[in-house]
Amino acid sequence: MLYALSVCGVSMDYLYFPGCTLYTKAKNFDQTARECSLLLGFELKELPEWTCCGATFPLATDNLMALLPPSRILAKAREQGTTLTTLCAVCFNVIKRTNHLMQKDHEKREKINNYIEMNYQGDLRVLHYLEILKQEIGFSQIRERVKTPLSGLKAAAYYGCMLLRPFDEMGFDDKERPTLIEEFIEAMGAESVDFPYKIECCGSFQSVGSPEVATECAYKILSSALKNGAEVVVSTCPMCTFNIDHKQSDIKEKYLGFKTVPVLYVTQLLGIAMGLNPQCLGFEQNFVDPFPVLKEKGLV
Amino acid sequence: MLPHRDPIGQSPHSFLREVEKRSGENLNLCYQCLKCTVGCPTAPYMDIRPNSLIRMIQMGRKKEVLESSAIWLCVSCETCGTRCPNQIDIGVLMDALREMAVDEGIHAKEKNIHLLHEAFIQSIRRGGRVHEATMLIDYKLRSKDFFTDLLPGIKLFMKGKIPLLPSLVKGRGEMKRIFERCTKAK
Repeated sequence: MLYALSVCGVSMDYLYFPGCTLYTKAKNFDQTARECSLLLGFELKELPEWTCCGATFPLATDNLMALLPPSRILAKAREQGTTLTTLCAVCFNVIKRTNHLMQKDHEKREKINNYIEMNYQGDLRVLHYLEILKQEIGFSQIRERVKTPLSGLKAAAYYGCMLLRPFDEMGFDDKERPTLIEEFIEAMGAESVDFPYKIECCGSFQSVGSPEVATECAYKILSSALKNGAEVVVSTCPMCTFNIDHKQSDIKEKYLGFKTVPVLYVTQLLGIAMGLNPQCLGFEQNFVDPFPVLKEKGLV
Repeated sequence: MLPHRDPIGQSPHSFLREVEKRSGENLNLCYQCLKCTVGCPTAPYMDIRPNSLIRMIQMGRKKEVLESSAIWLCVSCETCGTRCPNQIDIGVLMDALREMAVDEGIHAKEKNIHLLHEAFIQSIRRGGRVHEATMLIDYKLRSKDFFTDLLPGIKLFMKGKIPLLPSLVKGRGEMKRIFERCTKAK
């Protein structure tokens, strides 16, 4: 139904799975996405009674337990609609891959359905928020609706791992040279900066267990972006943002002369472009203050 | 050369076969091109690099492989599997090796990572959603490492990013039941 409406161009709502971090560390990501959606003519309808997705897709063949939380989310979502969207790249990865497994592996699907006492057949579309903007709204539409073009701002798109890999299951964009976020940045009037580390891993949860490993990963990514002229780095993942934004104080301690760079969520950037009040974009929660560079460009 | 015999494995082939069964990957396809190791973000910190790990599995060196820090430093970013010319998914392999290490009761060299995984899953089991404050307290108690990251933690708390109280989601009872059923079945 939702899909049919979207084809006809009628305004519609999307079922939305926020995920744990969107309620805590990435509140600014959640809020800006909800507000931008309204301005673009659709609403993010939060899935009721959602629980954690488990945060890692289990890779070993006999690990069913870790598949149960995401399967339950998919089954609950299917009762409410046909398309599920997420913002967090980690949740997106886990949910999309579980959906893929539910479609392809009949034996596991049956076992899982038994455990969760539901009957889900894998017939849900799982789309990232950016995919909705590209496929359902269209970047050309966004270009038209931009109120404050981000002209002069050099933004580097950082994809990380979760949106892209594994390619067969995610199918988000090219596995080595993705351009979706760059197209999005350009639709908002900013200049996109290409850099070789845009699909490198941020070190993920090693920031708790072996912080020095994650700091090193973050340093490589940020210095590569800076070397290529980035003034802000754009991210879609709360985990990556924690590592490449919050770790900048550690990097500065280790590498003297390291210049900090603000890390924004894609929707925060979209918020500026759509003319939302900059005070409502949650910049106070960003570790590296983006206001100086945004002021310099006359965007706030 | 005689095949290497490991004290806890019977023959080199039995370990290789077990790993292949658990991971579903054909490790005999590896021709040591090193693409996995070159692209791996955590390989510089591993005691055994991913390509060497595969070679050692082929040689049956079970003890060294399962005791390595490498299997716990892998963050499943899947860069290796994406680039492998022989379609070996090393991320899957690493997950299988971690499971085998846990099953064999081998303590992780990177023990904090394992403890973090446990604290995380307990947090979901308790509340349905992750509550970072209690999860991190649980992790700190398990790892007995109280001071690392204390300052960033306080900063996050001050920015209102770590709420004091967990959100009480209705689905949590259901999640608890699902977990219990699955643990029993195992």
